[in-house]
Amino acid sequence: MQGYSRQGLWSLFLMCAFPIHLWTLILAFRDISWVSARTNVWDAIGVASYGLMVAFVESVALFAVVSLFGLLVSTKWNEERRVALLSVLVLIMALWAVDGQAYFVWGSYVSAQALWYIASLEHPFRFLYGTVLAIVFLTTAIPAWLLLKSDRFFQLVQGLMERLSLLTMFYLFFDVVGLIVVVIRNV
Amino acid sequence: MSDSLNRRDFLKLAGTVPLSLALRPFIQTFDPSQPAQAGRKNVIIIVFDAFSAYHIPFYGYGRETTPNIARIAERAIVYHNHYAGGNFTTPGTASLLTGALPWSHRAFQLNATVAESFANKNIFQAFESYHRMAYSHNPLANTLFKQFADSLDDLVPQSRLFLTTDDFLGKLFGNDEDTASIGWARAIKKQEEGYSYSLFLSDLYAQYMNGRVANFKPSFPRGIPNVKGDNFFLLEDSINWLQAQVGQFPEPFLGYFHFMPPHAPCTTHKDFFGQYANDPFKPPFKPNDVFSEDRSYDYLLRRRTEYDEYVLYLDREFGRLFDYFESSGILENTWVILTSDHGELFERGIRGHISPLLYEPVLRIPLLIFEPGRASRTDIHSLTSAVDVLPTMLHVTGGNPVDWTEGTILPPFAPANGDSDRAVYSLHAKNNDADAALTHATAMIVKGKHKLTYFFGYEELGEGIERVELYDIESDPEELNNLYATQKGIGSALFDELKEKLREVNQPYLK
Repeated sequence: MQGYSRQGLWSLFLMCAFPIHLWTLILAFRDISWVSARTNVWDAIGVASYGLMVAFVESVALFAVVSLFGLLVSTKWNEERRVALLSVLVLIMALWAVDGQAYFVWGSYVSAQALWYIASLEHPFRFLYGTVLAIVFLTTAIPAWLLLKSDRFFQLVQGLMERLSLLTMFYLFFDVVGLIVVVIRNV
Repeated sequence: MSDSLNRRDFLKLAGTVPLSLALRPFIQTFDPSQPAQAGRKNVIIIVFDAFSAYHIPFYGYGRETTPNIARIAERAIVYHNHYAGGNFTTPGTASLLTGALPWSHRAFQLNATVAESFANKNIFQAFESYHRMAYSHNPLANTLFKQFADSLDDLVPQSRLFLTTDDFLGKLFGNDEDTASIGWARAIKKQEEGYSYSLFLSDLYAQYMNGRVANFKPSFPRGIPNVKGDNFFLLEDSINWLQAQVGQFPEPFLGYFHFMPPHAPCTTHKDFFGQYANDPFKPPFKPNDVFSEDRSYDYLLRRRTEYDEYVLYLDREFGRLFDYFESSGILENTWVILTSDHGELFERGIRGHISPLLYEPVLRIPLLIFEPGRASRTDIHSLTSAVDVLPTMLHVTGGNPVDWTEGTILPPFAPANGDSDRAVYSLHAKNNDADAALTHATAMIVKGKHKLTYFFGYEELGEGIERVELYDIESDPEELNNLYATQKGIGSALFDELKEKLREVNQPYLK
């Protein structure tokens, strides 16, 4: 791809795969007990394996979208910084996606007092959407701006990416194991 | 004559193979070892999921929810005190299909199968000389069908009557479809639990699925009927399909068809939307229970109204199906049974059916039997149970009785007209180990006009604390006055009988 080396794209793929696999594994481990209680441990491993297959496909799809988006990022920044920028955006997006499901997983929710306050406003929906938009914009724009302007923050992100990449390699190994499980179950 | 075949003889014999294959069905049909089929009537069992008798006007409900069923009930045997075996699909359906109570068939956990010893003890096996088929919108019933697959000639896939399906799973993972379906659902479908393994694709998938059924949305203001959020279906399609199928079944046949309405989500057709929006109907207020979800009276009334409007939809469709059966002559040689697997609660802060509570609306279900050629109505007020359907249908169709059922032949078909001293039981034991004695459950016994419910092993009640409730359901059908403290004689007699029954069913599981 224009402006990106193979190494840069691989790093970006690992950053796309990391949150997706982490979330899949967290939920799959939560599910293992109830699936095995209903059927058996082998089926529970099967369910997790199918989940990992989906996670891999989702990682590839996200990587494709983010790579295309990467073409829009100005080349006045070097490749490492652009990959770091895209990676940070992916991680922030993933955090918001996790937040969207957190209510159902952990029961975390906005307090009753806050909801009463919002409901009492003249335009509660405008307030709600405006606030959410502002929070999402700030949580995305501030790290992106810091990354492009601050070398220290850039190095911090690079260090984080190196560690997460190593972790993601393990996750990809789980994908391979999952694939083998799926094949065994279907032959 | 040589004992060995030469090449020419072999080829001559080989030429008869296709003929013998073609004749095989006829040879089977005329097999003298098979019992004579002549005169045996067909049986069609229609189950509407979570259809509570407490929401049907001819059982005493205050809203006109079933004008069509009321019309055709004039030709039926109508059972007024009919109880489900359990309070959700798995135990309720398993009791209907096996003729055994949950403590015997052991399918009392969510999505469970029956005990191995019951795998070949079911209505399909009992009608083994029939052509037997089954369909269910509900995946929990399908789990049981799959276990009984050897006793079924035609197990119709659940997806057959869905507007959108994930049938690629069957094509890609044919040898592991069940687990693949669960894995796929957990990975991509948020609707069931509110979350999914997928962070991004699940929303796109939901959008895609919604797009595929967009044409039907105007007809269903509360959303298109569905199972767990994305298996969309139309009851009209299901009924049309059944009409088309019935004429093609080899006779005699046994068909079990389990349709989702009025089970939540209650997304009625636009023709019934808002039907009860402004009616004056107000169910009695009932205080919250320790197992309550703390739903307000107004919330429960709104959900009840949605449910009742959904009942109108199934009522219309069942009426249409019945009219077809009549006009096509199917009723002349077919027994038709209308019933449910369990009821529904809209009281005591609870909306739903899976809870330790076994109040009447969640256990009392409709039972109507349409006998071939019957032109008048008979009302039966004695206590009956879902486990009675299997022995009754065997009896009326001339089948051999089975030894495993805990049910009895229903009046008016029973040789002696009903046992007035009969006890009827139901059980909720969703969190009890199926392979262990019952230590964490709610058990119910009804005898005469009294009903006793026994709660044991629940943390919510406190360590080691049990709860017993006694109601006179004849004078207090809403179960508002617990008589256990005041009617000690009746209470302890029923309690002793129930505990004796529990001791008996627990015996094989005591270590």
